[in-house]
Amino acid sequence: MKFRNTRQHRVAQVSATALSLVAATALLAGCASSDPTASSDPSSGSASKKTSLTVAIGSDVVSLDPQLQGDLTSMSVADNIFDTLTVRGADNELHPGIATKWKQKDPLTWEFTIRKGVEFQNGEKLDAEAVAFSINRLLDPATKSPIVELVNVKSAVAVNPTTVDFQMKATDPVIPAKVSLFGGVIVPPKLITEEGAEAFAKHPVGSGPYSFVSRSQAESIVLKANPHYWGAKPAVKNLTFKIMPNPASALAALQSGEADIVTGITKDAANQLGTSTDTTVKSTAGIRTYDLSIDTITDGPLANADVRKALNEAVDVPTLISTVMAGAAKQTPTLVPSSVYGFDASVKPFPYDVKDAKALLKKAGYAKGFSTTLSASSADSALAQAIAGQLGKIGVTAKVAVVDPQTAKSEIITLNKRRDGGLYLMANSGWTLDSVSFLQSVVKSDRRSSRWNNPEADQLIVAGETGTVPATRLKTFSTMQKLLKSEAPFVYLFNVNNTYALRSTVKWTMPVTGILNMSTATVK
Amino acid sequence: MHAAGSFRRRATRALGGELQQFILRRVGQTILVLFCVATLTFFLVRLTGDPVQAMLPPEATLAQEQSLRQALGLDRPLFVQYLSYLSGILHLDFGQSLFFHQPAFSLIVERLPATIELGAGALVFALLVAIPAGIIAAVKRGSAADSSVVAAVLVGQSTPAFFVGIILILVFAVNLHWLPASGRGGFDHLILPAITLGLYSMAMIARLLRSSLIDVLSEDYIRTARSKGLSRWQVIRDHGLQNAALPVVTIIGLEIGSLLGGAILTEQVFSWPGVGRLTVEAITNRDFPLMQAIVLFLSVIFVVTNLIVDIAYAFLDPRVRLS
Repeated sequence: MKFRNTRQHRVAQVSATALSLVAATALLAGCASSDPTASSDPSSGSASKKTSLTVAIGSDVVSLDPQLQGDLTSMSVADNIFDTLTVRGADNELHPGIATKWKQKDPLTWEFTIRKGVEFQNGEKLDAEAVAFSINRLLDPATKSPIVELVNVKSAVAVNPTTVDFQMKATDPVIPAKVSLFGGVIVPPKLITEEGAEAFAKHPVGSGPYSFVSRSQAESIVLKANPHYWGAKPAVKNLTFKIMPNPASALAALQSGEADIVTGITKDAANQLGTSTDTTVKSTAGIRTYDLSIDTITDGPLANADVRKALNEAVDVPTLISTVMAGAAKQTPTLVPSSVYGFDASVKPFPYDVKDAKALLKKAGYAKGFSTTLSASSADSALAQAIAGQLGKIGVTAKVAVVDPQTAKSEIITLNKRRDGGLYLMANSGWTLDSVSFLQSVVKSDRRSSRWNNPEADQLIVAGETGTVPATRLKTFSTMQKLLKSEAPFVYLFNVNNTYALRSTVKWTMPVTGILNMSTATVK
Repeated sequence: MHAAGSFRRRATRALGGELQQFILRRVGQTILVLFCVATLTFFLVRLTGDPVQAMLPPEATLAQEQSLRQALGLDRPLFVQYLSYLSGILHLDFGQSLFFHQPAFSLIVERLPATIELGAGALVFALLVAIPAGIIAAVKRGSAADSSVVAAVLVGQSTPAFFVGIILILVFAVNLHWLPASGRGGFDHLILPAITLGLYSMAMIARLLRSSLIDVLSEDYIRTARSKGLSRWQVIRDHGLQNAALPVVTIIGLEIGSLLGGAILTEQVFSWPGVGRLTVEAITNRDFPLMQAIVLFLSVIFVVTNLIVDIAYAFLDPRVRLS
């Protein structure tokens, strides 16, 4: 190209350089990323389709070190690589895991008998010392673990190679359930001591059904079946967790076959998959339980029990379930869902009765109704709007205030209890499946999320948290649920199913806790 | 016009004088801007909330919260944290991510190539479409070609990335099975995300090139060149484009900034493992060190890119150096 002047020449030089730099960057980056170990999809590679499974997860794992995470997604991945002391079976009961037996020797000691002959994936022995090491590492402040359930444990001691004692600071009847996830994960002491926490997090080694192969940060985590697993060997040999934060893209990936299992399916998503024979939508019992937290402490209409009962009778829970939740939920009479230990079936839900609700309001002196705010997380805004609409029918004007999920979470535990306003839509997932975990934070008056001040309730919580006789605990929970009905310090809603979609070739049922343990999955 | 040899002479003279002063001035400004960004970010991220509360479940006791807060160094006085942060930056230590328990710097560096690949791909797509479109629209002004370019530009500028992205995925991945639905991989994985991200920039650049070229083509010197007997395309090539190019080059510099920002949405839609998604995670988790590191990092890229563009501009156009 002939240049008429030096300025043309310079412009051309600069533009040509810039464009070629940009194009070169794109090309180089593209070539670099087609590195097979970083991003290729193993399920479509040389491994047979029958033994590979790809599961979509909505966010990346916080850490592959199971003691440095505290969320469901990270625990789901960890549950495949590591074992826990006890396991939750398909019957929702606790079964032996690494621990074959457990008993409360005395109020301040829990004794666990450790299974013989278990090895970590690197050949290291898993014995009582390993269990004690794991628990003590969790409790050590230097570990900075966000796992809080073992707060009542002082330390763990290996009494002999097959016995571990938990020495307690306070009585805790829920310990066996608490070690079925999170705090009960067993990690290899020799590896961690020799190589350090950072190396362990980069290449985790557990004793579970799957061994860690590789991780592409923010992309995928690749596992393969552990041939030396002490339990039933998994049918699926190659397991990949793919991170797909956008639900619509995850759904598209399921339809195109790039993902085999997608969780968190909404009503719209289920409709989209509709009549397709390639995919199946399943909806099974879950533990996430919704309710409206009421500010019963501030002076005003909500401090009156009759008003609160009126609110309960004004909310048509069955209709909310069939419309907003597309039928994928079950009404809870109080705060405790039916699958949980301590549920009292004799306590019935409030009836939907607008007439009686209005009468109760009139009796309390609020015949003309009143105004309040209904705060909710943005993820639940449809539900909040629906509830506000129903409350409007009895003259209660609930202004809906929606905030992002993290702000919602921190607002509910703030020490300034009035900040939430009158009503707050909240959800609780007590993965220990023990009633006390659905009650303690919101009922006991000195707990941060509590907006109720009832001495009898406080006593019942203490009994539930520290009682050691199962029959007495059940009675405690029964009394608690009856009190929750008579005082109505909350508006009771429902507990949500786990809704997920699978390729039709995949057989797997999600446990009630929502944990993505794939050791029982099969692919046709 | 001057011979090619004097180009070297002029360049040397320019570099020794006003250009050098210009560069020094701009570099000084850049450092000041980055310091302000670092300080502002430090204080602003702390308005988003409490990371310790975000990390722990609601059942956590106050004692457990205090213990974790102390372990993470978040109980120190604000000014102490600020000084520690500043001194860290000088040693290229951007702190440890509160959530991922890894150095913030390494997390960003790990994800940066993906974002750069996406940004570069988007820019290449934008330029490949915008430049011919802009030229054709300007030259054939008023014709059907011009109207269709203007219409396409309007659509490109008004359609949100997440909508375009999902439509592309549904059409090309789910229905036609021509391209993958998400993730990063070979060149085929880059096509849909690059188009999605580049659409807005493409529209901006095409529009700007079109109007800039229209202005230039109405100048006297263009008419002179035409009256000298040069063909229409020769005139555009030799006189029109280089003058029209200057404002477009500036815009490209600014667009790199918006590409980095727009990548957040595109990365979410396509599950692209870049810095955009890392940003969303950092904000959701109230991960102060990570948020600070990302903002600073992206600011550096943006500011340095614009510095280079400004210097290139000054090199090309002497009028700029003197201002």
